[in-house]
Amino acid sequence: MGRPRTDLQAIFETILGNTNAYYQPPPTLQMAYPCIVYDPDRMDSEFADNSPYVLTRRYLVTTITRDPDSSLPMQVASLPMCLMNRAYRANNLNHHVFILYF
Amino acid sequence: MTTLAWDQVGEHFYQTGVDRGVLYLATDGVYDSGVAWNGLTTVTDAPTGAEATAFYADNIKYLSLMSIEEWKGTIEAFTYPDEFCECDGSAQPETGVYVGQQPRRMFGFSWRTRLGNDTEGEELGYKIHMVWGAKASPSEKAYATISDSPEPLNFSWEAWTIPVGFDPDGDYADLKPTSYLCIDSTKVASADLAELEDFLYGTISVDPALPTPDEVLAVFAGALTVATPATPTYDSGTDIITIPGTTGVQYYIPGVGDVAAGAYGPIAANTYIKARPTAGYKFPDPVINAWLITFS
Repeated sequence: MGRPRTDLQAIFETILGNTNAYYQPPPTLQMAYPCIVYDPDRMDSEFADNSPYVLTRRYLVTTITRDPDSSLPMQVASLPMCLMNRAYRANNLNHHVFILYF
Repeated sequence: MTTLAWDQVGEHFYQTGVDRGVLYLATDGVYDSGVAWNGLTTVTDAPTGAEATAFYADNIKYLSLMSIEEWKGTIEAFTYPDEFCECDGSAQPETGVYVGQQPRRMFGFSWRTRLGNDTEGEELGYKIHMVWGAKASPSEKAYATISDSPEPLNFSWEAWTIPVGFDPDGDYADLKPTSYLCIDSTKVASADLAELEDFLYGTISVDPALPTPDEVLAVFAGALTVATPATPTYDSGTDIITIPGTTGVQYYIPGVGDVAAGAYGPIAANTYIKARPTAGYKFPDPVINAWLITFS
């Protein structure tokens, strides 16, 4: 059934060196940068015995940095089962979006 | 007279799925230790043989002879029970240490497929498939890197079989030896099916076991007779075990084989004796059907 999300939170906090990893943050939350924002995307199933046998959660992970040369996106991209999806700039902040299975 | 009609309501039958895989290790033709096979994805039934060979005479096709049919198949799964290692050519001389290229142990296997139709869906019923005398061929296992999405390794084993004969003095002596038998839950009595499932999947007191084809047929031929196995006795003075002569009970020693009623021995070490019901009989539940005779 996959590892618990709290393990992923811990990995992100280790990468950041702080607690600026936000899971499904409400729009009103004042975020500190650089940060990682992540949301559940879907759950992938492998079937056996007529039932879902292996379930893996997929997350949409966004790194948000002021520094365009920040190493944070590369660190997230180096995680297993992680693939960069796109990058964009908004509100003077650099966004890198990843798809991550965990 | 009847006029044929096609695809009537309730007659859109189909078969789907695979689950309840059970592996039975064979010891001297007895399949008395069933273990659940998790992660079953596909069982492919691929019989071979039954091929016609034509013979010509008098300038015509004179006759055509069919070769013997053999059950072969493929089992695919995400994992396999530890017990299957022996069947896949691995020995485990020390716990957790697997040595390859060893003799392959014979096994039995059962699995279930669902039966459905247009009104009941997949709840209509199911088929239980049983295979005896199987041996797995060496198979490829492609270990691949973890990539950007999860992909569990799907194992695959080809299996071939040696058919099991029917009792020449029994009710089914006219049947040819077989490796494969299938039960359709929509066509047999539910009580009989429950009896078979008790054999196949075990009960509180009896381990899962794969009965012989004769024993399976006996389950559906009529009510089974309850036979309670008597306890073998041991004389420490002579080291002789006395096997009781109980109708409907076959005593056996794992690794040795069936033992007849009467004196067995002398033994020189602790001896494990088990009992199984013969065709047409079943054990009560609960029952004691295994005894460890302590050598003294």
